[in-house]
Amino acid sequence: MEPKRGHWYLLTALILGLSLGLVYSWIISPLTQEDTHPSALREDYQEVYRSLISRAYQANRNLPRARARLELLGDEEPALALAAQAQRSLAERGDQEMARILADLSSALRETPDSNPTPGPENTPATPAAAGSETGDTPTPTTLPEGTETTPTKIPQTEIPPSPTATEAPPFTLQDSSPLCDPELAEPLLQIHATDASGEGVPGVELIISWAPDNRETFFTGLKPELGAGYADFELDPGMVYTVELPDNRTLVTDLEIQRCSNNGGEPYWGSWEIYITHPN
Amino acid sequence: MTRWTLFFIVLILSIGLGLYYGWVINPVQYDDASIENLRIDYQTDFTLMIAEAYHDNQDLPWAMNRLTLLGHDSPLESVELALKFASQAEYTLPDMFLLRDLHNALQGDG
Repeated sequence: MEPKRGHWYLLTALILGLSLGLVYSWIISPLTQEDTHPSALREDYQEVYRSLISRAYQANRNLPRARARLELLGDEEPALALAAQAQRSLAERGDQEMARILADLSSALRETPDSNPTPGPENTPATPAAAGSETGDTPTPTTLPEGTETTPTKIPQTEIPPSPTATEAPPFTLQDSSPLCDPELAEPLLQIHATDASGEGVPGVELIISWAPDNRETFFTGLKPELGAGYADFELDPGMVYTVELPDNRTLVTDLEIQRCSNNGGEPYWGSWEIYITHPN
Repeated sequence: MTRWTLFFIVLILSIGLGLYYGWVINPVQYDDASIENLRIDYQTDFTLMIAEAYHDNQDLPWAMNRLTLLGHDSPLESVELALKFASQAEYTLPDMFLLRDLHNALQGDG
């Protein structure tokens, strides 16, 4: 007579089978990296992707499309991610053009809030272009070709505007330039505020600062969006004399030198400097 | 049915369950993919972005440099594949024209 041994052997088979299946699908033969999503890109490739989105935006000025493409990267704050990359681009590679292009899109995103709710990841269109166009035409649904395991996508009836022509630097004029005593600032700064006629901050304004003997650096407004679209700053060294210019050799301020300030307790500290520029348009 | 038969049936079913979970429900997630690993529709949009920028800057060496990231044999092949997908997915005419312009420029260069 067979002794009673219960059904533990079935549980053993279940656990063993599940373990074998998981080991095979996760370790021995996991899904390959083909057919991945932009959010799975390595960080440096995400930067390439972001740069390309910005360049495409510079060409077609299609903000909804740029926004949809950026959503694919999964950045929590796309505008901040662009601004941070612009700063890295400038600091690490000295690439002023790329920094300006990135800053331009960053500013455009902040100035034009998304009027449509952001789709969840599961609803993100397979083709980013599906976000629509500024022309407001109705997207038409299409199907993907056979053999591609993707969700149906929609392609907008986009009108690509003509390529923008190069614009000259806006005619900024100096509004105010004065020393600033602010004990809250951690280090002496040159703070620039660029505004238009309506008082709105203007991002992407190129500024050149030079000091003895032959030092010269370029920086842009709008790279710190949390401080304002038209804001830029540059760390100043005590004892140095600076000149601030616009790109076409239009000098804004010469002989700029930070002053000593003192706080409420009478303790001295190095002050900062602030410059306000504006243009009439 | 013997105990061994039942054991192997449950074993095979649970292996299938494990594979389904590991490949479909919760597959390995990558965060270090390269551009060439992108799905075909994202690769096509990547190419379209290059075409949009090329339409503006007319910088063919730059466009070719970016296209090499897609990992195909040549930049021309990348654009041909993008054109094929764009055609099947019914991209709009302006987008198709941009891709075609880049394709023509690469052909002229080649």
